[in-house]
Amino acid sequence: MNAGTILERMAASHQAQAGRFAAGAPWARRRSRALARLLERGLPGRRDENWRYLDHAAIAALSFAPAPGAHVDPARLAPLLLPLPGAMRLTLIDGEFAPGLSTSGSDGVRIDDLAVLLAGDSAPELESLREPADDVDDRFALLAEAFAPGGARIRVAAGAVPAQTLYLLHVGSAAAAGMSHARLVIEVAAGATLTLVEHFVSLGQAPALSNLAADLRLGDGATLRHVRLHAQTAPVAHLETWNAELQAGSRYEQLLLVLGGQLVRSGLRLMLAGREAEARLAGLFMVDGDCQADLYTRIEHAAPMTRVAQNYRGIAAGRGQGAFNGRIIVQPSARGADAAQSSRNLLLSPQAVINARPQLEILTDDVQCRHGATIGTLDPNQFFYLLSRGIAPDAARALLTRAFCEDILAALPVPGLRAPVEELVVGRLPDRDLIRRLA
Amino acid sequence: MSGENAVILSVRGLKVRAGPRLILDGLSLEIRAGEVHAIMGPNGSGKSTLAGVLAGRPGLEVLEGSVTYLGEDLLAMPPELRARAGVFLAFQYPVEIPGVNNVYLLKAAFNAVRRHRGEPELDAFEFLGLVRGKLRQMQMSEDLLNRGVNEGFSGGEKKRNEILQMSLLEPKLALLDETDSGLDIDALRIVAEGVNALRSPERAIVMVTHYQRLLDYVVPDQVHVLAGGRIVHSGGRELALELERRGYDWLRPGTAAA
Repeated sequence: MNAGTILERMAASHQAQAGRFAAGAPWARRRSRALARLLERGLPGRRDENWRYLDHAAIAALSFAPAPGAHVDPARLAPLLLPLPGAMRLTLIDGEFAPGLSTSGSDGVRIDDLAVLLAGDSAPELESLREPADDVDDRFALLAEAFAPGGARIRVAAGAVPAQTLYLLHVGSAAAAGMSHARLVIEVAAGATLTLVEHFVSLGQAPALSNLAADLRLGDGATLRHVRLHAQTAPVAHLETWNAELQAGSRYEQLLLVLGGQLVRSGLRLMLAGREAEARLAGLFMVDGDCQADLYTRIEHAAPMTRVAQNYRGIAAGRGQGAFNGRIIVQPSARGADAAQSSRNLLLSPQAVINARPQLEILTDDVQCRHGATIGTLDPNQFFYLLSRGIAPDAARALLTRAFCEDILAALPVPGLRAPVEELVVGRLPDRDLIRRLA
Repeated sequence: MSGENAVILSVRGLKVRAGPRLILDGLSLEIRAGEVHAIMGPNGSGKSTLAGVLAGRPGLEVLEGSVTYLGEDLLAMPPELRARAGVFLAFQYPVEIPGVNNVYLLKAAFNAVRRHRGEPELDAFEFLGLVRGKLRQMQMSEDLLNRGVNEGFSGGEKKRNEILQMSLLEPKLALLDETDSGLDIDALRIVAEGVNALRSPERAIVMVTHYQRLLDYVVPDQVHVLAGGRIVHSGGRELALELERRGYDWLRPGTAAA
């Protein structure tokens, strides 16, 4: 099944599902073009600067056959859902829009199935779907461009402030090995505000591959609060490529929690395009066993008085591997920009590995930049202090590990998420049973 | 006077190394129930090392000697068992632990000690009542309870928090490591009152200090001078006053004692 080079297998897979991609239609032509570009350029490898920490062999070992279409029984999803009563719902199953598990938008929110929206011989909306660039950062987005049968577009109308959160559930059926792809377009128009909770779950136990290419656009003065929770229980590999553009005075708050999956690569390219645009990005990854999390961000200040604050934590236990690779570029046009980046990492076993790589590229003098990265073990002074108060060593270790995540969890913007997220975090800690007893 | 009281701590010929340096060089000390001892000495004489080695601080290597606590080999016990068995160290520099709730630590420590003593744990309500009383005694604000352990506490608040923990855990052997340093006079008085409230016929208290001003408030039964890694002089309360007047130089090893 895995015979041939990756690219040969990709081409064969594309051929095999040609029937899904209505030939001749504008979107199908783009898919074919994307496949040709992909076959010419290949997938990223270890030699590519921004991909050096990823386990490419693990990806090459996966099946690139299309994931078999899965029927998902809503009753099986129910116990996995986050407690977000009243939330608008959007569900993608193996990357495809699931109308039965999605609500229509309200309060100025419009949700579309891309497979419907972009079908047909004339597709005027196709231009809202960005055509991926040639550079290697965007290569998995190019893969999604070639293979994704659909996905969703979320639009919030200018000035709209919907009362309800939008709950976007990505379900991986993981019933059998195979790959699935999705496109996502999120547009928050001028002055609008949205809270979006994105949640990744899996149902089966197969080593599937999922790939998401997402575009995010915030208009002047728009605000998006975005929680992104990876909680896949199957040994899946998930790759995602985000391209975000922030117009003047807009504000993007993201909390990324990588607490599931065998391998998660999350890439974000963010352009602070308008004056006083602001991004506050926080994240936590926890890897144990032989899992891997690879976080990459590239943030570009292209306008005056733009601000970014990044605060990431990583914990690796067992033979887990984690990476944070964060690049900030301040263009000459970004006078008065402010950038702060912090990456703190905790190693809980001698075999665990974390790479932290902050990179600042500053092309103007009028700028405030701070960055710091640490990789270490638990603080011996804190540990001894707890022991000296009669706390057992395993409990002390558990408390300190849990404490390491505290300020990231405290930043959760949606009430009601705290308890389930906390449970996921604790579930990934080596002393999980002990921590539950202590709580 | 104290001859018939039980020996709480007996240190014999203790030699301790920290890294390449020999810090304690044959120190001996005996403390009985009901007694308050002050250990004084110049900087670097080994005062904090003594407090640390008794509490089980890592990084200190015992080369020779013995420490017997209530008849047991203290050095063979891991730090958490020493704490549960009634040894309490008030840190010179209390450690900040953001993300671990202060009241949570107090309760966990309290219940660990209670379990060890075979006493029932208190429920959350009873425990909070107990802690509130201690907070008032230490003149500490109640909102310190729900912060991270020592997180953002002032120097004085940290030291008061140590005494609060001590008062809650009711140790048999309390070790106060430079608890007076960095305190203004009001905080010093509050801390001293906290310590005095713990004086009891069942308990021994060891105060490690550079200056004698704490001893104005907590009057010791015995004062020892530590220099060059051993106790070079012992005496009563008046020795502390003499040290205040004359400094430590006259007691350094190799100097003729007065």
